[in-house]
Parts: sequence; C-alpha cells; structure tokens
Amino acid sequence: MTTNTKGEGLVTILPTCGRLAAAAALVLTLALPTGAMAQKQVPITIVINQSPWFAGFAKLVEAYEKETGNKVTLDVNPFAGAAEKQRNSVRSKEGIFDLLPMNSAYLAEFYHGGFMTPLNEIDPAFKLDPQVIGYDDTAWWDEAKKANSAKTGKLYGVPINGNVPILYYREDLYKERGLKVPATWDELLANAKALHNPPQIYGMVVRAARSASDISYDWMPYLHSYNGSVFRDEKSGDFTVVLNSAEGKAALDRYIEIAKSVAPPNPGSFGQAQVIQQLLTGKAAHAMNVIAAWSQMDDPSRSAVVDKINVAVAPRAPNGQHAPTLGHFIGGIPKNIPMERKKAALAFLAWFQTYDNQVKYAEFGSPPVRKDVLESPMSKERKFRFMKALLDSAPYARMMHTIPEGAQINAVLELRLNQAVIGEQTPASALNLAAAEIRAIVDKGGYKTGRLPDLK
Amino acid sequence: MSGSARTDRLWRWLTLAPALAVLILLTLVPIAELVAMSVHEIVWRSGESQWRFIGLANYVALAGDQLFGAAIVNTTLFAAIGVSVQMVLGFFLAVFTSRAARGQIIYRTVFLLPILMPGIVIGAIWKLMYNVDFGIINQVSGLVGIPPRDWLGEQSLALASVIAVNIWHWTPFCFLLLLAGLESLPQEAYEAARVDGASPWQELIYVTLPMMLPTIVVTLVFRLIVAFKVFDEVYLLTGGGPGTATEVISFSIYRRFFTEDRAGYGSALAIVTLFAMALAIVLAVTALQRRRVTA
Repeated sequence: MTTNTKGEGLVTILPTCGRLAAAAALVLTLALPTGAMAQKQVPITIVINQSPWFAGFAKLVEAYEKETGNKVTLDVNPFAGAAEKQRNSVRSKEGIFDLLPMNSAYLAEFYHGGFMTPLNEIDPAFKLDPQVIGYDDTAWWDEAKKANSAKTGKLYGVPINGNVPILYYREDLYKERGLKVPATWDELLANAKALHNPPQIYGMVVRAARSASDISYDWMPYLHSYNGSVFRDEKSGDFTVVLNSAEGKAALDRYIEIAKSVAPPNPGSFGQAQVIQQLLTGKAAHAMNVIAAWSQMDDPSRSAVVDKINVAVAPRAPNGQHAPTLGHFIGGIPKNIPMERKKAALAFLAWFQTYDNQVKYAEFGSPPVRKDVLESPMSKERKFRFMKALLDSAPYARMMHTIPEGAQINAVLELRLNQAVIGEQTPASALNLAAAEIRAIVDKGGYKTGRLPDLK
Repeated sequence: MSGSARTDRLWRWLTLAPALAVLILLTLVPIAELVAMSVHEIVWRSGESQWRFIGLANYVALAGDQLFGAAIVNTTLFAAIGVSVQMVLGFFLAVFTSRAARGQIIYRTVFLLPILMPGIVIGAIWKLMYNVDFGIINQVSGLVGIPPRDWLGEQSLALASVIAVNIWHWTPFCFLLLLAGLESLPQEAYEAARVDGASPWQELIYVTLPMMLPTIVVTLVFRLIVAFKVFDEVYLLTGGGPGTATEVISFSIYRRFFTEDRAGYGSALAIVTLFAMALAIVLAVTALQRRRVTA
C-alpha cells in the first residue's frame, strides 16, 4: 500500500517522457514473476503444526519477511490442533487463516468439502514450478471426478513439505559390522537382529502407538509393499475392503515380528516423538521415520549420534515395490477470505517454491520440495546426505486415503493395529475387525463397497 | 396481589434476568444445538454443511460401540479409585492441618501446590518422571532392586499410572474444601465429647465425620463430576492407549467429534454423558437432602 501511494505521487510530478518511463517500469514490474510482487502484500496468518520440519519453515518465513517486508504470523499448534483450527476456519463465514499447510491425512476432507480456492482464480498466470515434486498429483483436484489429477484437475496448492517415511539406520554400526543397506523388510529384520543388544541398543524401533496417525502411517509402507491395500481400487471407485487379505496379513505379521523381536518393550506406546528420541539417544539401530526428522540427527545440541546416521528408501516386500506413504503438506488458500489476503498468501507460495528459497529451506533444516534442489551439488554434501533417499522415494510415494472419511478410517486402523501389536487381538482378528468397521464407514458414505471373507 | 408484592416480583425478575439470559445463551442454547446435531448426519460439501436427519440412529449405534464401552469402564474405575483415594488423603491432610499447632500456612501452601499447576506442566513433569529410560521413578525403584517398568506403556500399569497423577493433582482440591468444612465445625461438640472422655479417634468417628458429612458429600460430588470429565491427563500422558487401556469418555468424545469429524455421533456421545452425569448429581443431592430431613 505504501509502495502504491508513492508510485502515484511520482506519476503526477513526472514530465511526459518520465511518465512513459514510469509506465514501462510498471509494465516490467507486472511482468516479473509473482515472487517479485511479494513486496506489496497485506499481512497473512499461517496456521501450522509443530512438526520436526517446522523450525526450518519458521526460519524461511523470517527470511521472507526480511526480504519482502511482508508480515506473516505463524499460529503454531500440535498436529491435531492445527488440523482442527484449519477445519474451523474454513467452515466459518470468513476464515481467520490465509494459508493452510494441509496434511495428506486431511487433504481429501478439504478438497471434497469445497473449502479451497484454485490458485489460478487468484492469479491466472500462476504455475506450479515444474521442478516441484507432484506427490501423487495431490496439489491438483478435479472437482467433477472428485479425484487428484494434474491432467484434468485445477491447481489448489503448493507442496510445503514432502514428508515420506524413510529408513534411518546407524551407518557407523553398518560399517563396523560390514552390513548392507536393506532393500527388503526381511533384510532389515536380519540387520536389526545383528545389531540388537538390549538395553544398550535395540535393533529397530517402530511407531506403533495409537493416536490420530501413528501406527497406521508406520504400517502402511509394509501393507502396500506386500501388494496389499485398504481398498481394492480407490482411484477407479472400487471401495471393496481388501485389508484382511493374505497380503495384508503377511504385512502385519512381518510388522509385528519386527516389533516383538527387535524393538524396545511395549512398542505399542511409541509415537513419533519416542521414535525420534530413541534414534537421537543412540538406542535404536533402525527406525522408519519421516524425512522431516532428519535435521535433528546431526544437531549436536540434541543428538548423541551426530554423523552416525544415514537414510535409505523404505524397504519393500521380497516380491513387492517400495511404497513409502505420503505424509506431506500442501499449502492451500481457503475460499472464505478476502481476495487481497488470498493474493498475499499466493505471493508467499510463489516466493517459497523458487530454487533459491528452496535451497535456503534445506539449509534451515527442512527437506526441500524441488527436484533440482535434491539433485543439486548440495545433495553430495555430507550434511545433506538425506536428499538422495528423499529423491529416490518420491516416485514410489502414495497417498494413504483419498476420501474425506480418511480420518475415520485412520481411527479404526490405529485402534485395531495397535491392539494387534500389544496382543489384545490376533493379527487376523484385528484385520477382520478393521475391515468390517471400514466397510461400515464407506457403506454409510455411499461408496461402492464390499469386503473379503474373514481371515481364519 | 398488592402493589408492593407486584413490585417485589418484578424486581426479582429484573435482577434474575441477566443471569438467566447468560444461562440460556451459554448453556441451554449450546445443549439444544448439541441435541439437534445428535439426530443428524453432518457432512460438508461445496463449502456448506449438509444436515441429514437420521433420528436416533446415533444413539442406537452407541450400544455397539466397543470403544465407548471401554471408555465407560475405564472412566468409572478412574473416578471411583481416584476420587476415593483423594477423599481419604484430603480428609486426613485437612485433619492434620487443622490440628497442627504451628506451621498451618506452610502446610496449606505446600498441600495446595499441585492444584495450582497448569495441566500441560503436570503432563510434562509426570511424563518425564515415568520415562522408562531416565525417569526418576525407575531410578528410585532401581535403588531398591525393582527393575524398570514402562509405567505408561504397559497395559496393566497405564491406567493406574494416570490415576496416580490424578490423585496427586486433585487431592489438594479435596483438602481445601474439607479443611474449610473442618474449620467451620462448632467447637462446643468437641468440648462436650472431651468432657465425656472421648479419645481423639472417637472424636473423629463420632463427632467430626457426622458433622462433616454434608461437606464430604458436596466435595465427593464435585470431584466425581470433574473426574468423569478427565481429559488433559490422558491426552498428555497416554493418548488413550496402549490399546484401550486408558480410553476415557471425554477423550472418546474428542476423538469422534474432532479427530474423526463426526459431529453428529460425537454430539450423541456428549448428550448421553451429560444426561448420565446430571442424573448422578440429582440422585446424590436428593440422597443428601433425604438424609438431612431424617437427621
């Protein structure tokens, strides 16, 4: 606003040639990428969760404010609290938050609910940089088909964080014992057994607690890599529940075997924070964890294993593909805020997705979302050794749920899988119960569904 | 009706009106909305909420909800064990403090400290104390040869561990109310008992307890209400797990309402809980009144 007023003043006092020059300058300014326009925006508020990648994001926001003079307020909450605030804001008459980093677990709810603005309605010229990773097309939404599709859908957001689970392992111990980085869960279990020496060090720590999204997220890469799934074919609209298949059972058996044979006692109480704690204190030889936790591993003020950990793509079943589950965040702009705030939020996203700022993002400790940054020379530096695993994981990454009932389905999975791990249910009965309950959820939602006979 | 009686009546209504308006706005309207939500299935499409009337289906579904069943059992255990211990401890601390010849202010301050702490701080403190690797409880128990336990992670221990925190947190509440009751008792009854040769124990059983009964019942009802609503300690310490070991009613409602975004079903859970609690309070108050009449 201040810049506009100054511009008008200049135009009124300049002679004709000067006016032409000023007009040319204005045209040039308009032609610049949206990021360069970021200097004239109203303040915005971002409601965000306190995840392991938050510190890097906060530093990048500071850099944005310093560079552009724009004001950004961060409303920081626990994971579930941020989702609730986002939900409440988009459902009110006028939202109080301008940019929502939507977690993959809630994406479908926001898209199906019709709460978000297509970014090209704010700026028709805006494009997602082709170097930004697509994450299973989740930044696009086809309202008619009710599906994520970069081909037929509209762009609704910019990936803000590309969380996928990767395998953290003790590289120093691997070198000491001459172990090979595991490609399969079987190899992982063998390596974990080789390093298992409780209570000094546990072979593997699993994230098997029951919460909004712990054990379901931890187990999903097993399920998918064993060629199992929750539904037969979500993308084509077949919501027949096939969770309790032989593949599902094999995936759960393998997970429980790892949890019981090489994990610390009571794995059913380990959430993400406990898994990170075990890694940082040197008590875990392996863990599947989100890439965002990486920045803490080499932080001497937090970690007892600085420079001792490395990462690799999530293992797979012997006859399956790698299948890391997306736990990423898409930055979206709600419908129910004034246009000037939408523009301000989009200006931030445009600035955020540029190469230089993604490099800064990585330097601040958060995983970048651009392919060219992950492939850049910085990825060869020891400090950024996580980049290769992240890049290698991207093609395999897949969504956990694509329907708004995802949160309900997760609640079922969290309870039943956790019960299987702690022994309250057998693996077969846990899967049967979960399948029946999930079928009831999708049945109620009006989806084409059914389910497999109970496992014996 | 005389003019002054009419003026009195009008005045009564005028003075009552603000409080009544606040009660209607902040209590009855939300409850009415909750009831309305509980008989609907609510979904959001195209930025708008769509309410579909489903009658009592949400209430019927409650009967088959295993998680809610576990929550009722756990909450009942939590409230019964936790509040009983708090009442006994609170009572004896209050008797001890009221009879202390010196240092009453110090005792009161020390005994009240836990209740002054915010729930989030209590959660953080106890989570650290219970930590299996470096928690002080395992360190101390290790000194006497007891092997370390995962106090919040073991199914058999988790609920007891949360109850212990609740006892620590809320005993001061019982202490405070019971101490106020003790200090308001007429001293003549004690003097008469002493003249009759009653021992301190007999004083406690035959003088203090009967006279304290109304205060005890009120304190018990207050504590039971708060105990049945327990949320923060479970949320911060165990998240309802492992399995369903520490699932409690408030946490179940929270999960259904907010995490799963099932506003209709969550409302039905809330209404049933509210009704059960209200019924319990009415029964307790009625029993107390009957006892007073009999006495």
